[in-house]
Amino acid sequence: MRSAANETPAPAPARKKNGFFRELKKHHILYLMSVPGLIVLLMFSYIPFSGVWMAFTDFNVVDGIFGSPFVGLDNFKYFFSSGSMGWRVTYNTLFINFFGIIFGILFPVAIAVFLNEIRSAAFKKLTQSMMFFPYFLSWVVVGAIIYGIFSSDVGVANNMLALFGMEPISWYSEPKYWKAIVIAANVWKWSGYSSIVYMAAMVNFDQSLYESAKVDGANKMQQILRLTIPMLKPTIIVLTLLNVGRIFYGDFGMIYGIVGNNPVLGDAVTVIDTYVYQSMRTLGFSYATAVGLMQSVLGLILVLAANRAAKKINDGEGLF
Amino acid sequence: MEKNRLLSDKLVTTLAYVFIGCFAVACLYPLLLTVSVSFSSEQAIARNGYSIFPQDATLDTYTYIFVNSGTKILQSYGVTIFVTVAGTIGALLITSMMAFAISIRKLRYRNVLAFISNFTIIFSAGLIPWYMVSVNYYGLKNSIWALIVPSIFNVWNMFLMRTYFNAISPSLYEAAEIDGANHFTVFWKIALPLSKTPLLTVGLMYALQYWNDWWHALIFINDKELFPLQYYLYNILSNVNAISSGRIPSGASGNITLPAETVKMAVTVITIGPIIFLYPFIQRYFVQGIMTGAVKE
Repeated sequence: MRSAANETPAPAPARKKNGFFRELKKHHILYLMSVPGLIVLLMFSYIPFSGVWMAFTDFNVVDGIFGSPFVGLDNFKYFFSSGSMGWRVTYNTLFINFFGIIFGILFPVAIAVFLNEIRSAAFKKLTQSMMFFPYFLSWVVVGAIIYGIFSSDVGVANNMLALFGMEPISWYSEPKYWKAIVIAANVWKWSGYSSIVYMAAMVNFDQSLYESAKVDGANKMQQILRLTIPMLKPTIIVLTLLNVGRIFYGDFGMIYGIVGNNPVLGDAVTVIDTYVYQSMRTLGFSYATAVGLMQSVLGLILVLAANRAAKKINDGEGLF
Repeated sequence: MEKNRLLSDKLVTTLAYVFIGCFAVACLYPLLLTVSVSFSSEQAIARNGYSIFPQDATLDTYTYIFVNSGTKILQSYGVTIFVTVAGTIGALLITSMMAFAISIRKLRYRNVLAFISNFTIIFSAGLIPWYMVSVNYYGLKNSIWALIVPSIFNVWNMFLMRTYFNAISPSLYEAAEIDGANHFTVFWKIALPLSKTPLLTVGLMYALQYWNDWWHALIFINDKELFPLQYYLYNILSNVNAISSGRIPSGASGNITLPAETVKMAVTVITIGPIIFLYPFIQRYFVQGIMTGAVKE
C-alpha cells in the first residue's frame, strides 16, 4: 500500500480536485440533467437508510427514531422465536418464489420454442396477442378474475365440479389451495411477456446450424433439444439468476391483490413483504423495520452471489 | 426412416399448435368471463353462476354504476387519469434526461451516476423507513403526490433507455456541438427524436405502472376522494373476500349490502379501462421495444 502511495506523483490530488470542478463546469448541463433523477433516488432510497436505526430500538413516537431505547438484536431474535410468524413467512416466500421461478421459466421457454414451430402467421399473431394480454392487468383485476373463478356460489370452478358430480369447495376458506393458485396466477400473468425475451434471443440464432442438422436427418424434436434449448441456455441462466437474487422478496401487490387481508388464507400465503406491512400495524415500527432490514441484507448477499455467478457463466457480463 | 421423421415432425407441430392454442385461450378466457358477467342480469348469474356468454344480456349494470353511483367512480377515474398523465410525462422526462447524461462517454463521472442508481436496485432500507420519511418529512399522507412522486423514476427503465441512446452515433452530437448547440439542445433536438421506440416503450411501461398502481393508495391514502380506480375496486373486493371467508358472521353480513356480482365485474371492466381498447395498437410497439432492448442487452 505504502509503496503504491509513494509512486503517485505528488501534485496529483490537487490536479484531481481542480479536474473535478473543471469537469462539472465543462459538462454542467449534463450533470444538471441528472439532478432530478438523483433527487428522487436521494429522497426515496438514500434518506430512508437513516430510519434503519429503528430496527435496533424499541421505537415510540414521543422519543423519536434516535431517542427511543436501544434494544440491540431483540427485534431480530423475536422474528425467529417460536411464537412469531418468522419461519412461516420465510418458508412461504421461498416456496412461492421457488415454484414461481421454475414454472416461470418452463412456460415462457415452451411458448417461445413452440411459437417458433408455428408457420401460420395469423395464428401466431393472434395467440401471441392473447398471451400478452394478462401482463396489462393489475393484480386487483387479476384478483377479481380469480374471485370469478373460485367464489363458492357463482364461481366457474364449482360449476365445473358440479358438472362432474363432485361436491363444491369453499375455496376462500381453504388455505391449502392458495399457494398453488398464487403461483399459477403469477405464471399466467407473466408468461406471455417473459417469452418475448427468449424469442428475441432466438432471432439471433444461426440458421445454418438448423439447415445442416436437417441435412443430417435430425427431426424437429432433436433440433429443439440439441440446438434451440442449448443455445437458449445463457439467457435462461441469466434470467434465473436474476430471479434467484430476489427470492426473499414476495410480490406484495400479487398477494394482497389476490387474497387481500384475509386472515383465514393468511397463514398459507403471507410472504415477508406482506408480513412487514401487517407487522407495522400490529407489532410496531421497530419490529417491522428489523424484518425489512433482514430481508434487504439477505437479498443483497444473494444478488451479489448471483451477479458473480452470472459473470462466470456469461463471459464477464454480470447482471448489473 | 424418412416417414418416421415426417411423422414425428408432424407430432411436434401439432403439439405446438395445441399448447399455444390452449395457453392463449387460458389467457383470454377469464377476461371474456368478466366482460360477459358485467353484461348479464343479476338474477341469471345468481341462478346459473358465471358463464362465458352473457345471460339475459343487459346494460343495466353499467347504467346503475354510472347513473346511480356515478360521481364516485368518475372521481376515481379522474384521479387515475391525472396520476397516469402527470406521472408518465414527468417520469419520461426525468428518466430520459438522466439516461442521456449517462450515455455520453465523455462524461467523466457517468459511472458514479450509474453506481448511485444501481445501488438502489440491490439494497434498500425497507418499507418502514421509506414510509416514515415519506409521511413525516415529505407529507405524502393523503396527498395526490403520494401516487405520483415515489414511482416517478425507475432505474431499470433508465438503463433500458441508455441502451438506446448508446446506439446513436456520437458524431451526430459533435456536428451539432460545432454548430453551437449545448447538451440539452442535442438531447432535445437530436437524441429524443431518434428514440421514438424506446420513448414509446418506456412511456407505456410508466403509464401502465401508474394506471395499475393501488399499493401506494393502500398505504398513503385514506381520503375517499383521492382513491384511484384500482384501489376503489380493491375495496369492493376485499369486503366481499372478508365475508366469503366466513370471518364476518352471517348475521352481521346481513347488514352490509354486498355489491352484486355483475356490479363487481362491471367495475373490473371499467378499471381495465382504455387499455382494453388501446391494447391491439400498443401491443406491437411494446413487443418491438422489448425485443430490440433485449437483443442489445
